[in-house]
Amino acid sequence: MFKNYLKIAWRNLWKNKGYSAINVGGLALGMAVTLIIGLWIQDELSHNSYFKNKDSIAQVFQSQTFNQETGTGPAIPRPLEKVLRDGYADNFKHLVMSSWNISRYLRYKEKSLSKTGNFMQREAPEMLDLKIIKGEKDGLRELNSVMLSESVSHALFGNEDPIGKTLKVNNQYDVMVTAVYEDIPFNNSFNDVEFLMPWDKMIATQEWMKNAEDQWGNNSFQMFVQIADNSTMEKVTEAILNVKKNANEDTAEFNPKIFLFPMKDWYLRGNFENGEQVGGRIKYVWLFGIIGAFVLLLACINFMNLSTARSEKRAKEVGIRKSIGSQRNQLINQFLSESFLVVLFAFIIAVIIVLLSMNGFNDLSKKEISFPWNSTNFWVVLLVFITITALVAGSYPALYLSSFRPVDVLKGTFTSGKYAGLPRKILVVLQFTVSVAFIIGTVIVMQQINYAKNRPVGYDKAGLVQIPTFSQDFEGKYDLMRSEFLNSGAVIEMSASSSPTTQIWSNRSGFDWEGKPEGFQEDLAWTEVTPEYVKSLGMKIVDGRDFSREFATDSNAVLINRTAVKYMGIKDPVGKFLKDDDEEDPGPPLKIIGVVEDMITQSPYEPVKQGVYVFDKHGNSSFYNLRLNPNQSASQNMAIIENVFKEHFPSLPFQYDFVDDEYGEKFAAEERIGTLSGIFTALAILISCLGLFGLTSFVAEQRTKEIGVRKVLGATVFNVWNMLSKDFLKLVIISCFIAIPISYYVMNGWLQDYPYHVILEWWIFAFAVIGSLAITILTVSFQAIKAANANPVKSLRTE
Amino acid sequence: MLLQLNNIFKWVNSGGQRIFLLKDINLTVAEGEFISVMGPSGSGKSTLLNVIGMLDNFDEGEYSFLNEPVHTLKEKNRANLYKQYIGFVFQSYHLLDDLTVKENLEMPLLYKKVGSSERKSLVADTLDRFNIVGKKDLFPSQLSGGQQQLVGIARALISSPKLILADEPTGNLNSKQGEEIMELFKQLNNEGVTIIQVTHSEKNATYGSRTINLLDGRQINALNG
Repeated sequence: MFKNYLKIAWRNLWKNKGYSAINVGGLALGMAVTLIIGLWIQDELSHNSYFKNKDSIAQVFQSQTFNQETGTGPAIPRPLEKVLRDGYADNFKHLVMSSWNISRYLRYKEKSLSKTGNFMQREAPEMLDLKIIKGEKDGLRELNSVMLSESVSHALFGNEDPIGKTLKVNNQYDVMVTAVYEDIPFNNSFNDVEFLMPWDKMIATQEWMKNAEDQWGNNSFQMFVQIADNSTMEKVTEAILNVKKNANEDTAEFNPKIFLFPMKDWYLRGNFENGEQVGGRIKYVWLFGIIGAFVLLLACINFMNLSTARSEKRAKEVGIRKSIGSQRNQLINQFLSESFLVVLFAFIIAVIIVLLSMNGFNDLSKKEISFPWNSTNFWVVLLVFITITALVAGSYPALYLSSFRPVDVLKGTFTSGKYAGLPRKILVVLQFTVSVAFIIGTVIVMQQINYAKNRPVGYDKAGLVQIPTFSQDFEGKYDLMRSEFLNSGAVIEMSASSSPTTQIWSNRSGFDWEGKPEGFQEDLAWTEVTPEYVKSLGMKIVDGRDFSREFATDSNAVLINRTAVKYMGIKDPVGKFLKDDDEEDPGPPLKIIGVVEDMITQSPYEPVKQGVYVFDKHGNSSFYNLRLNPNQSASQNMAIIENVFKEHFPSLPFQYDFVDDEYGEKFAAEERIGTLSGIFTALAILISCLGLFGLTSFVAEQRTKEIGVRKVLGATVFNVWNMLSKDFLKLVIISCFIAIPISYYVMNGWLQDYPYHVILEWWIFAFAVIGSLAITILTVSFQAIKAANANPVKSLRTE
Repeated sequence: MLLQLNNIFKWVNSGGQRIFLLKDINLTVAEGEFISVMGPSGSGKSTLLNVIGMLDNFDEGEYSFLNEPVHTLKEKNRANLYKQYIGFVFQSYHLLDDLTVKENLEMPLLYKKVGSSERKSLVADTLDRFNIVGKKDLFPSQLSGGQQQLVGIARALISSPKLILADEPTGNLNSKQGEEIMELFKQLNNEGVTIIQVTHSEKNATYGSRTINLLDGRQINALNG
């Protein structure tokens, strides 16, 4: 019986190639979108699945309140370790202090590479369950040891056995390779941990870290834990919530809360607002999940509409089958098997589409996704996916078609009745509501990106290059390098700074100034710079003057930005002082010599943070900022700069970044979403139009005789076109009226996440309405004009 | 006795008026009869046939088929009843266009859940019996009207029904083809199949053993009804 159903289905598909192409093609597109989104979601959800202990690992987070604003983050003070180890050891299986992910030059013989890694305590490899390829898992036991990822080991040693070999770190100290571990895969936190060195080594080599041992106010470290087997995240958090406050009364005024942030939430739910966890990337998982479901629904609607629209053709078959003994459920089965067959076809095409577009999608979404053909679960999910699609697409037509009464349809007087088209119309409205909403959403996302991109950044980011200078080799070389670079002709100005142009690495508080409000707890972005900073970046001085080497007193001078003036509430800031309020060991007062234009260092969607630029008298620079010679090409300049660099630092790799590119990275996430939603919108519209095209051609065919009669009676082509198009245009207009308020509500909510955002304007909505009407007219007209131009004699003779 | 209709009424309401399609029909059909139903267009012939064939409902009265009270049966049981005992032959053949002759013949057996081997032998027998073996792989559109109707009758007969209901079976055929079909009916009737046919043609009616005349939904002269 089933074979028979399939036979009929196959012949039906073959006989009506046009409809089949629309049906299968539309479904295939829809399924391809859903598949690819499904894979993307799976990839997002499987983040950190490399770590066996994923469910019991957490990072220790801290939230503190300054001026009624609660900030939350991973930075914790060093003394917290001792308190937790002494008083709360039962709660933890492992407790690991860690540095940030920092870059170090690793040199073996003549080969030097800049790699990123962490300094962590001994239990880290055990806690993360690193897969050891060579050497021992307990590789951080000795002070002068290093564990390398497989690819770093390979890059440094090639085929040599790395175990026991000695590396020089930052040209400063030697460590011995104790282990090589499998690279942590792309889709995981710690992916950029290319080496591990002992926490104690970092303390031993950095004076400030030793000092931080008892400083409760110095939140500059990270702590990872694995909770005890019999405990839960909530229990441990409850136990340690107030440890900092209790251990150190001075910090109580900031109400510090210490809590666990579970690994399974790191990637998807990493946003905090006023101390509360408020989601994160998970919202994009939902967003794309919804988009995927809708696109599939659109394709299913095509199937439903085309099947029911053609019902009059199938009606006779239903009648005959019923009269020779078929029961209704047998017919339902038949029609469902038909939709199953169509969906299966569509699925195969969808898989091919996905395979072909996988590379492009991976580039766009910055992922490494592929079909997990070897996973049983995957096949089960696919089967469920096909079945659900077939049921969604096929149930309504199956129920509808199988309901015909044989007496009616066999008499030949069967017409679908006045309201038979109503569900079809509702479905078309649903399709276009989704499409119009997608159009509006995409336009707004694009607008928001452009809006933020066009925001003045406060400096000239074109032709600006930064070179990281973390290695010991750079110490005391600034003046020399500056004159070398300037003399080379490739650079017209150069400065050094303690953080990159596009980020804030340090914040400070603990100052007093004239007019400071009572009890005000300031938080200032802190960048140490050489006197040429303003000039090399092309920033603008709006008040006072720039740093100058001619004034010896400038070593205790600062520039502040416009926002800082407002934030601190200083009138006439130039000439005023920032006084260090540390009672025991106050630094010298810092004189404000000028005010600079705000410069975007963090998110381009947020207001600029109040910032202080401090004369760098200790040589704390982390970056050189080079203003390239505008009269030569960038590649010429870079070739010259590389030569100069190699001359002075022969053992270091030449690393640099164009500030332009770094700044562009800030838009990457939004741009990805914009591009993807643009593509999905285009596909959604294409699918809807495909359905509309099928429906119009059907309607035109059905009304051939009517059109013939009308033409004989004198109707013009325009009359006929108007008659056929009007119905569909009406539906699309209704869709617009539904889509506009919904998308306004949703997109307005989305924009609220960005303090700096576009205002929703009416023309966006007008654009979407006009656009979708134009698309509808184009789609419908093709068939309508064809029908209107047909020779009426022909169409009337066919009866 | 094969079936019995007692006081069957069927009506539709149109504009506040009740229009009777069938009015007080009483009919007893014994096995082996060959009945012709006649009457002008709109007199209710086809409606009567559909009611007998259980494709259509009636509003009042009683209908028993092989002593089963049809009016009280559920849809499903009714379908089982006619699937087993009734075959239809239509004026416009109503073959399934997408299936070959052989597959069309097989269809009712599939719905009766007849096993594969038995199905094959029944189809082969029937093709043989109606002399259409050579046409088994053709589609209906490749056959003449007479051939299509032959297949239609073969399909109605393949599940060995007790009763054949034929709605103007020769209406779309030329007189020679029509005659052949009627001869076939006669022969089937002689083999014991009960036949009820609707016809416009006095000549075709003479093949039957008895004629029922309808006018505006009423019987006008039922011979020993």
